[in-house]
Amino acid sequence: MDEHAEWRARIGAAADGELSLPEQAALARHVAGCAACAGAWASALEVRAAMARSAGAPGARTVPRRRLGRSARRIVVVLLIVGGVIAGWLARDWWGVAADVPVEDGRAAIVVP
Amino acid sequence: MGVRRSSFRNALTLSLGLALAGRASGQEPGVRLTYRLRVMAAHAGDTIEIAHAEVAGPLDTDLRLHLAADSAEVDALLSVLPEPDSLTLDGQFLSRRNVGRSRHGLPVWTEDQYQRAARMGWGRAVRVLPFGRARSGGRALWLLATVDRTAGVGATRPTETVEVVEPDVVFTAEAVARPRRATVTLTLERGDTVSAPRVADLVPDGPPRAIDFSRGTGAATMLQVALAYPEPPPPGRDRVLARGADEVCLRVNDPAGQAPARVICGRLNNVARGVPLAGGDTLFVTFAWPGAR
Repeated sequence: MDEHAEWRARIGAAADGELSLPEQAALARHVAGCAACAGAWASALEVRAAMARSAGAPGARTVPRRRLGRSARRIVVVLLIVGGVIAGWLARDWWGVAADVPVEDGRAAIVVP
Repeated sequence: MGVRRSSFRNALTLSLGLALAGRASGQEPGVRLTYRLRVMAAHAGDTIEIAHAEVAGPLDTDLRLHLAADSAEVDALLSVLPEPDSLTLDGQFLSRRNVGRSRHGLPVWTEDQYQRAARMGWGRAVRVLPFGRARSGGRALWLLATVDRTAGVGATRPTETVEVVEPDVVFTAEAVARPRRATVTLTLERGDTVSAPRVADLVPDGPPRAIDFSRGTGAATMLQVALAYPEPPPPGRDRVLARGADEVCLRVNDPAGQAPARVICGRLNNVARGVPLAGGDTLFVTFAWPGAR
């Protein structure tokens, strides 16, 4: 078990209120310098808040996450479209192309004048 | 009213049955079927003929054609269901079309099998669009097909003439006729001794016939031979195109010996085929279309 796994276990215990004050202080010192553990702590608290809200606790609220701005969303959409076009082009080269005419149009026909 | 409808239905059933029976036997006396095909193409706003073929044979003769151009090719077996005033032209088609290239750069083809039929008049031309109504990049090609009846003199052997004007187009047309009898030439050999050739006119699925071979030394060998049709090819391309229709098999039996019968198969008007017999003899057989009666 690595060091972060041990801290994540303590985060779970802290969210459940099972840590002593010295242990809480040590955890706070570590979380102040560890972004991953800070995220894990926020997630643990959000999970418990969601469970409390579903159980009917009136004061329980989920922590609002940061949302993408309008320009960022545009960039993501453009990147997805460009990526889809490139993927389609590569797939066309990889697997070949489908027939350019419907099957029935390419079949022989006998025409009586 | 009910009686009239019933009699009409009976008459229709009877006439259809007679037509199918005549088609199956192909034994309408003195009538030969003639297919005429002209392969046409559009060229600089005009229409030119780039190949033509004429295939004739007994009334049950079919026509097998192959046409390849640009990025598509088609094989077809055309057959005719004759009626007194008209005919039904039936076509079994096998198409191949190039649809692109694989990731290894090899051409990718799609294959398709289907049937087409049309009712037409004797001697009237119909237009066959071998690659369909769509023009996927290639130039327009079509066939003008005519089927006619002509008076024959009992000849059973089909004839075919094909001429291709434009070498870029691959076009073949073959007659497909099942022989109702065959001329079999048999020769018995042992070492340097060869018997005189014996010729027999045999009917498939007919009774066996005894053939005597003498090799000049006084000793004679008698063999029983019977002609039969071979087993049909397995379902697939060959069966659809009726490949091997002009093939027959000869069952050879030595009544004096205890050896099992030997079977030798071959196409008509093809090379001689040999079959070793018990006792060291080898029988060489050649199958041919019989002459006109």
